Amino acid sequence: MVASGKQSADPHRPSEILDTLKNLGFGVAIAVPDSWLGEILVQIEHEPTMRLVRATHEEEALAIACGTRLGGLRTAMFVQNAGLLSMGAGMVSLAQRYQFPLLMLVSYRGTVEDPVFYHTPKGRVTEPVLKGIGLAYALADRSRPIGPQVERAATYAEEASCPFALLLSQEDVQW
Amino acid sequence: MVNAATRPTRADYYQILADTLPKQALVVTSLGNASYLWAAMHHRPENFYFEDAMGLALPLALGLAIAQPERPVIVVEGDGALMMHMGALVTVGAVAPNNLTVLLIQNGVHAASGGQALTNANLDLAALARSAGIARAQNVATPEAFTSAMGAPVDGTGARFLVLSARPDTEVVRPPIAFDPVLTKHRFTAAIGAPRYVPTMFGGGRLQRD
Repeated sequence: MVASGKQSADPHRPSEILDTLKNLGFGVAIAVPDSWLGEILVQIEHEPTMRLVRATHEEEALAIACGTRLGGLRTAMFVQNAGLLSMGAGMVSLAQRYQFPLLMLVSYRGTVEDPVFYHTPKGRVTEPVLKGIGLAYALADRSRPIGPQVERAATYAEEASCPFALLLSQEDVQW
Repeated sequence: MVNAATRPTRADYYQILADTLPKQALVVTSLGNASYLWAAMHHRPENFYFEDAMGLALPLALGLAIAQPERPVIVVEGDGALMMHMGALVTVGAVAPNNLTVLLIQNGVHAASGGQALTNANLDLAALARSAGIARAQNVATPEAFTSAMGAPVDGTGARFLVLSARPDTEVVRPPIAFDPVLTKHRFTAAIGAPRYVPTMFGGGRLQRD
């Protein structure tokens, strides 16, 4: 997933994510927070055109998202990559089997740039696991505006009728 | 729970559900006989059948209730399935959708996988639901009590949660239709007039109604 366009000053990437979701008509976000996601979820709660649902577990969040999409709401998910690891059964037997187009915006913890060392085990295995379960994904490119990358991820999910995970860095998503 | 042999069957409850189902209602059924028997007794395009994904019928129905607030949404879940994702009770309690009815078949076994024992077959699941914030939760042990509970008016206090004491039904019902998951989804979305994705050449498509 590479967005077109030159490198540009991007004043506040989390705002760009939220603005893109609103512009694309996303009506609901289903979330399980982590420290990077906390504030953008609060911002969504204040958006009159979007609804935030706080789930207790990422696999539960995935099923709620399938339900909101089934009912006709364009749906985004906000989860940490730990949640991608723990939702595998629901991903393959519900979201992928029934072909639900879902945009998954994922805080990618445990990379070499993450200052919190205990996330490392999750970061190390995230992409191999995503490949293993056949979940389409891309790493957000920090040298390019984030809004078009979110839009393309959302388009991919719809065109391919499947969940699509965009893996985000701290500066992409932490408000 | 009462003696297994004297409990109503799933079919007893389903017959009442079929007889009292509002025309606009959407029904989500868990895996196994929850779906197979409902398809055999009352197939309609507004049914969404699970084949697998144990424990996820309730949260999916919650999402559906959020997206379709003008329609009653009824979900049939099992006690074993609920135990796999008890956190969903908390989320249902927090969201408190007035249009959601949870029918929890409490048969005390993992019926869909052959009748294996549950971790605990004797929980007061209505009390558990109330503790999770679902005020309208009650245990139901007879067809008459189920009829009465289904006839109670919506009171604006959130989801309705009925725990239906039932006999285990481990003999697999043969459904009268193919359970193609994508067909199930498309049949359902067409029936409710859900918007479809309308692409544009270079991205930025939207969901639109025809």
